[in-house]
Amino acid sequence: MLYPLIAGVLFGLYFSLVGIGLNLVFGVMRIVNLAHGDFLMLGAFVAFGIYTAAGLDPLVGVPIAFALFCVAGLLLYWILVPRLQRARDPEMLSFILFFGFSQVIEALTTIVFGTSERSIPSRELANSLSGVRAAIFGGEATNGPFQIFGLSFPASWVVAATVSVIAIGCVYLYLYRTRLGTLTRAVMSRREEAIATGINVDRVSAAAFGIGLGLAAVAGVFAPFMFGSFTPAFGIDATVTSFVVVVLGSLGNPLGTALGGVVYGVSYMLVQTYLSSWADLLPYVLLIAILLLRPSGLLGRRVRVA
Amino acid sequence: MIGKASAALAAMMMLATQAYAADAPSEIKIGTLYASSGRYASISMPVHSAIKLWVDQKNAEGGVYVKAFDKKIPIKLVAYDDQSNTATAATLYNQLVTQDKVDLLVADSGSVLTAPAVTIARDHKMFLFDQTGTGASFFSKDNPYIALMADPVSTIWPKPVADFITHDGPGLGIKKVALLYSTNEFTGTQANAVRKFIKESGAPIEIVYDQGVPTETTNYTVIINNIQAKQPDAVIHLGYAPNDIAFLRNVQDVGVKFKMLFCIYPGLETELLEKNVGAKGLQHVFTYVPPQELEYPVNFGMKMADFRKAWDEKYKDGKIEFGFNSVAGYTTALVIEKTLSVATSLDQMELRKAVFSLSGNLKTLDGTFALDEMGGQIGELTPLGQLELNEHGHIKFVSIYPHETATGKPVYPRP
Amino acid sequence: MPDTLRHYLFIAVPLLVVLAVLPSVYNNHLLLFNFVIFFILAQGVNIIYGFTGYLPFGYVGFFGAGAYGFALMVMHLNSPAPVAVLAGGLVAVVLGLILTPLLRLAGAYFSIANLAAALAVLHLIANPALESITKGPYGVALNGTFNPTWAYAGAVLILALTLGIVVYLKNSSFGLALQAVREDSFSASMSGVNVVKMRTIAWLASALVAGLAGGVFAWYVSVFYPDNVFSADFSIFAIVFALFGGVATICGPLIGVIILYGIYNLIGFTTPQYFQLIYGLLIMGLVLFLPAGLVSLATRRGWNVP
Repeated sequence: MLYPLIAGVLFGLYFSLVGIGLNLVFGVMRIVNLAHGDFLMLGAFVAFGIYTAAGLDPLVGVPIAFALFCVAGLLLYWILVPRLQRARDPEMLSFILFFGFSQVIEALTTIVFGTSERSIPSRELANSLSGVRAAIFGGEATNGPFQIFGLSFPASWVVAATVSVIAIGCVYLYLYRTRLGTLTRAVMSRREEAIATGINVDRVSAAAFGIGLGLAAVAGVFAPFMFGSFTPAFGIDATVTSFVVVVLGSLGNPLGTALGGVVYGVSYMLVQTYLSSWADLLPYVLLIAILLLRPSGLLGRRVRVA
Repeated sequence: MIGKASAALAAMMMLATQAYAADAPSEIKIGTLYASSGRYASISMPVHSAIKLWVDQKNAEGGVYVKAFDKKIPIKLVAYDDQSNTATAATLYNQLVTQDKVDLLVADSGSVLTAPAVTIARDHKMFLFDQTGTGASFFSKDNPYIALMADPVSTIWPKPVADFITHDGPGLGIKKVALLYSTNEFTGTQANAVRKFIKESGAPIEIVYDQGVPTETTNYTVIINNIQAKQPDAVIHLGYAPNDIAFLRNVQDVGVKFKMLFCIYPGLETELLEKNVGAKGLQHVFTYVPPQELEYPVNFGMKMADFRKAWDEKYKDGKIEFGFNSVAGYTTALVIEKTLSVATSLDQMELRKAVFSLSGNLKTLDGTFALDEMGGQIGELTPLGQLELNEHGHIKFVSIYPHETATGKPVYPRP
Repeated sequence: MPDTLRHYLFIAVPLLVVLAVLPSVYNNHLLLFNFVIFFILAQGVNIIYGFTGYLPFGYVGFFGAGAYGFALMVMHLNSPAPVAVLAGGLVAVVLGLILTPLLRLAGAYFSIANLAAALAVLHLIANPALESITKGPYGVALNGTFNPTWAYAGAVLILALTLGIVVYLKNSSFGLALQAVREDSFSASMSGVNVVKMRTIAWLASALVAGLAGGVFAWYVSVFYPDNVFSADFSIFAIVFALFGGVATICGPLIGVIILYGIYNLIGFTTPQYFQLIYGLLIMGLVLFLPAGLVSLATRRGWNVP
């Protein structure tokens, strides 16, 4: 019983990282980024490229992917979004737009890289830090399984969970301690009033979009280790799960996403143990249950009722 | 008088043979599908590339010998991309039959993409050359329009594994077995077969863990922990390549060592698994021994080494994996070639008769071709083997069971 | 002549006649059948999105439910095919009733919840635990009902029914009330429109139509896996076709299907790898430059396109 719980927390924290980017984008712009999972996939390729081409620790991919996709996000925002906001039903149309975009990304990636599975050996993640780890936790510097309460867990999970916690902490600091972040929160709660008070909504949204994509790519860097292997087509499933995590934890609240991720992770591990063939039903059941019972999410912020 | 009569007779015969030869089509159209993208691309492209290799080879020789017209006729391969989508595949199979009017219909690779063809072929009364679609529901007594070319049916495929466990297992100390499978037709049916074979054997083997997980599962950490808790003497994992990759990696990640671990795809897609799991992760793993690791006696078509050479020459960039599936495609091609050389016409039922006549007699680089009465492949069984590291640290196969084809003894329990 | 009759006679009937006659001159019957199915599904999306503003991203849930309703009737009750198709429609309506609480949600929340619901139904049906009822993941192989000609006729009949519903909605006060609800539900309810009841009726009508389509699809193909009849492609294509042509019109979805599905079948053959790319770009272009659909090109000039 303890094993699935701890595994669930680690796994869930990773999913919080997957969801946090989506949270920002949806919370701020009401835009449904159906291509979210594809940016995850691109982040995975960045990590793969760093490992195979440069021979470096994939962990290096974290800052690189973040910077790269932040900039990409800003560019994309200015190209795509202003037109969208002028339409009659921007929220719905953004669904379609980003779906089309996700197809484009997937097609281009497939054309360039082909469809076969790729992966990175698990020991490579944070290999450069294995000396540090041995110093703190004891044992040899081989980046082997991590022991928690005497149970073995993959080292890559612990690294991913740690980075996730740091990332979510950073987002929290951004939103609650910086000026731009406060403006972002203003736009998230009342868009029209924010415009009326002279806030440059476009700039705030662009920043949120860039950060959102950057975070997705960072999550993608860890994807090869969490999922075993990746192909250009695996983005779609990740997108749906991200939504589950975000909605579970309440929109716009980074701590909520952390909680949502952990709830999802633990539930998944428990279901895998006791009802293994039903495991794939879990995210959808959770989503529908939350939307119908407590649509504002576990940490209750906003509710959209028709 | 006799001279005139015999001259007339000769003239008539000449006219007859000319008319006969005039009936011959200018090319034999073979219709098939392939998936260049999507979930099944990795099993489809090697199969398709092998067919193309054979077509090009034969056309370079002037065509394939067709007994029905007693001459060599070039082949035209009509192939469309279904992108791993079954609805697209259904439309395209229909197109091949009704618009392109192909002479022979060959299915795409894998049960899922073969399924639409089964009904369409049956509806249009065309014989389906089923390459690797092993779904048991395809083969029934009332459908004569199908035969499985290159893979054993799922209900019989795992027999070597089950037999090893029930015959040799007790001697090695195997009493408890864990069975983990992905819930889809390919592996689910094999799991049922394993269970059945073990139970029917009467051997003192107990299945202590028996779980199905969704095919999309990519995370086995907790499952591995649960299996470990039951302390099995042997673990059988039946899943597709992504499942095997994730499972084997997770086993390495948590540092668990099962006494015996069987997975399907280290045998069927060795290069892919070695690339993603690493040679160390595959060491001592049990799997199927693919035909390219054994030298089967061949009475038709290229031997394995020659086929490998031809493949490497044609597909230099290495983007498409050479392995089990490319052999499957070439085997299908050989069956087609031999069928055309014995069938007395291109009528579909006649083709069927010709195909079935090869059962038990055709020995290719894939093994002996053998069909049951419903068209299911019961030959070409892959023996059970174990993976070890050779001097260079790369994977090599040791065939374990059946004993007739064994090249070594099993390493059990895993050190 | 009242508008309803006029529209039906001059738009719906010619199309139906053409579809009824084509199989005798064009051999690829499966292609024609697929066209009819997409005509039905696109109009189904039109009913729910065009008239009520809910985007059913999980529309295929009803389609699959209808297909399995058909399959269950044939497998377990040996019922004749036409009855089983009706049963399929009924199953979809029941599913729609169960999912009515989702209508409480608005905008993107509804769409995602709808998607989750469809996926949940898929994974429920495909679970091996239900193998004795639905054959689980091993797929359905129906014997004895295989009759593509009659199935095609059934599909054309269902299309006739669907077009009837859409023509009615376009020309009746009921349809007008629905559109009012879509624009501004508060004002509509203040004008005496029973918002909840109207939405539910439209929702169930679109469910019925998709369920019947699913039933007749199962009749036609006779062999299918859960993934085939719950494929997201059905929802996506139906939505895109409807949007491309223009929703809340009769002709829009029809035009959308003819053009886009036609293109799909043409280039799907010759440029396979690049097809996804082209399609994705097309979708993006549609949203950015022609959000109200193709029909809007005409209505902008003041022409009245029904």
